[in-house]
Formats: sequence, structure tokens, C-alpha cells
Amino acid sequence: MRLECNNLNFTYPDSDVPVIKSLSFSMETPGFNAVFGPSGVGKTSLARLIAKMESNFKGNIDTRGMDTILYSYNLERLPGWSSTGNHLDRVTPEGKQPLKDRLIDIFELKNILPARFSKLSMGQQNRINLVRYLLQDFSLLIMDESLANVDEKLRESIILSIKNLFADKMFLYISHNLMEVSGFCRDILVFGKPSGNKGCSIIQGRDYKKGYQPDKEALDRTMLEIMNAI
Amino acid sequence: MLFRRIYQFLIVYSIGLLFLLLIKSVLSLSDYVIPGVGLIIETFHNVFDTYFFDVMNTMSVTVLGQCVSIAMAFGVGIAGRRSSWMGSFIKVTAYNIQAYPIVALAPIIFILLGDGFLSRLLIASMICYFPLLLSVLGIMATPVVDIEHFYIITGRMRWQLEVKIRAFENLSKLTTVISGSATLAMAGTIVAEFIAANAGIGYSIRIALYQSNLAGILIALFMIGIVISIYQGCLETLGEQIKTRWSVSKRGNI
Repeated sequence: MRLECNNLNFTYPDSDVPVIKSLSFSMETPGFNAVFGPSGVGKTSLARLIAKMESNFKGNIDTRGMDTILYSYNLERLPGWSSTGNHLDRVTPEGKQPLKDRLIDIFELKNILPARFSKLSMGQQNRINLVRYLLQDFSLLIMDESLANVDEKLRESIILSIKNLFADKMFLYISHNLMEVSGFCRDILVFGKPSGNKGCSIIQGRDYKKGYQPDKEALDRTMLEIMNAI
Repeated sequence: MLFRRIYQFLIVYSIGLLFLLLIKSVLSLSDYVIPGVGLIIETFHNVFDTYFFDVMNTMSVTVLGQCVSIAMAFGVGIAGRRSSWMGSFIKVTAYNIQAYPIVALAPIIFILLGDGFLSRLLIASMICYFPLLLSVLGIMATPVVDIEHFYIITGRMRWQLEVKIRAFENLSKLTTVISGSATLAMAGTIVAEFIAANAGIGYSIRIALYQSNLAGILIALFMIGIVISIYQGCLETLGEQIKTRWSVSKRGNI
């Protein structure tokens, strides 16, 4: 399993300004990785390129050993004609019923399954959306702000459980939460500010697992390193 | 919804009638030009039965014509929703054909098919069809990205699901367009009857026109208005019920 970009350049068809310029990085083993940076630096564009939702780029994206790449994002919706529970049942592949039940417990969704999607809060909507992605077969799941509006405690529990349940999969977590990214992610691709000419760099996060003992100094060091890279 | 439609029509009709009576009294016109209230009531009693069945006759063609045009609009709209060559061809053709006044083709239809039921049905459905088609094409060709994304990226998207998502997300627009197109279908049928048919309220209006019977025409307009208001009201109520059943949770909110 390998995600590697070499000299990647991308400009949207209706624009003259490149969103991604000469980006090169590689992430080689399964795990919970992150893309971090200020708004508008090209995190979502990179995610869409990796998920093959955009073509027309220059350079090379190597996704060797990854058969299925999924891209989930904040503000996705489920159709409104049926309850979220029904929708979840319909998209659950055969044999994944126990996993579905487990995820429903972890994501604390049991009480909201009879409700329609439009009746849920934004955090509940994002959680139910992420669960349906986790139920699919995938090698790499890109989570673009997929846990936005979820409270911090539940978010931590969800991330740690995902790392535990899907240890053989690769994740690319896009978030603006510095502490969360520094603590829970392994390889962190940091985009520098476009005006700062710093480019991109990979920083090692703390990669906390279930039952971790927080090391405040090490976490502060990682956070400082990320801030310096921006 | 239904009663609102009816009293809205009654208000508009009363204003129109009062305006005519005002002109009659200001210009001292005879009953031959603009009939008085007494003559209108008398004509109403005389022609009510005949006109009622004529309006029902027209209405049956209208409903059938509208059903045909809805089926055609959805068929072509679904086929033309893709951004493929065929989809673009269907869209461009539809936009170009709808720019042509369909009523102008009515004489050709009467020459080819005669002045019976089929000609009326064809003209009614053609007049109703193109505005419907443009709306359905617009709705079906516009992706609902934030819902469709999951099904596309996981390879679960089928054309039936795509159509269902787009129809559901635009349910209000669709029901409004369908109930609005009832007026067009009615207008199409009446125009067809007025031109050359041998039945329906349009045919009766044509006879009243040749007899300079304005009272008869006013009664015909009244009955057309009432019947189309009831029909539109029923369509709107049906649309509301479909929306409620399809989109509102029966198990309460969270």
C-alpha cells in the first residue's frame, strides 16, 4: 500500500491560478494520516485528485496496492425519502451487519436511526454519513472534515476506534484542528501558506492509540513543528 | 388549496364581469353588444346542461392530454439528462422545437387526422408538453452532488436512483409545474376545439361567437374557470400529499 505524489500540479479548468504547485510526498503504510493547512491551500483539491474525481493534472499520483479509494466530505446528505436507518441497511454490504452494529454503538447513532436525515443536527449528519463509508470496501478513505460539528470527546473516541477497527486501511484526515491532527495522526502533510513560499512537508504526528498516555511536551513540540511548517 | 383556487377565480371573474357591466352602463350599450345581468342569468339557465357536458368533454381530453405530455416529458427528460452527445442533442432539439408556436401546427393536424378526438388530444398534449419538458429536463440534468457523490464513488449509482434523487429534491418544483401545465392543456384543448373540432366547450364558444352571443361566451368562460380551478386545486392537493408522505418522517423528529 503506497500513496505517492510526484511533482503534482493542478489548475481548475476555469481558472489561471494553480491550486497545487510541484507537490511531492509519499505515505507508505496503512494508518491514520492527515492533510493540514490553512483554508484555500489545496487540501480538498488534492483529495479529489487522489480519489480520481478530477483529471487534467500534471505530475504523477501513485496509489499502488490501493484498489478502492473513497472520498467523504462534510455536508454530504442522505436522500430524504426514508429513515437514516433504512438507508444504512441498504448500503451495508452482505456480512458487514456486525460491523454496522459496532459502528452504530461507537458513533452513538442508535437513537437517531428512525429519523430522516434532514431532522438531524449537523454533527449527527456527519456521523451517519461517515459510518456508511466505513461500511464499504476500501483501501484508502479520505475524510474531508468528515467529523466537523461532532463534539471533541466523541470525535476522539471515534478516531481511536476507527484506528483500532481499520488498522490495515489507510486514512487521510483533513481537519483544521491542530491538536487533534498532531495527537492522532501519523504522517501529517502540511501545506504552507501560498504567500509564505514554504511548500509542503511531512511531519510525524504522535499517532495515539486506544489507552494512550498523553505526553504534553511531545504534543506541544509536534504542534509547534506544524505551525512552523505553515 | 382547492377552495382558495375557486374563490380566487370567482374574484377575478366578478371583477371582469363588473368591468363589462360598467362599460355597458357608461356607454349605454344595448344587450346585443354587452348583455345585462338578467340576460346572463337567463342564458345560464338555458345553456347550463349543454355547457356542463361540453366542459366535461373538454376536461376529459385535457386530463388525458396532460397525462400523455407528463409521460412524454419524463421519458425525454430522463433520456436527455446525461451530458453525453445524445443528451445534449435531445436538450437542444427540445429547446428549439418549443420556440415554435405549436398552435400554428394545428391546421396541419386537423388536415391529417380530421376534427375528432385524436386531433384535440394531440394539440392539447403538444401545447402542454414543451413547457413541462423544459422543466423536467432542467431538473433531471442538474446533479444533486452532495447526495449523489456517495453512490457514484462507491459504484452504487443506477439511473433509477439518480432519477429518484433528482425528482425527490425538486418535488415542489415538479408538482407546481405539473399543476400549472393543466391550464396549458385546457387552453390547448379549447384552442383545438375552437379551430376545427366538433365537440367540447371550445366548439360551443365558436358557435356562440358566430351568433354574437356574448352571454353564452361569458357562461362558457365561467364554467371553464370553475372546472380548471377545481382540477388545479385537486392536483395541488395531491402534490402536497405526495410531498408530505414522501418527505416527512412518520416517527417524529430528533
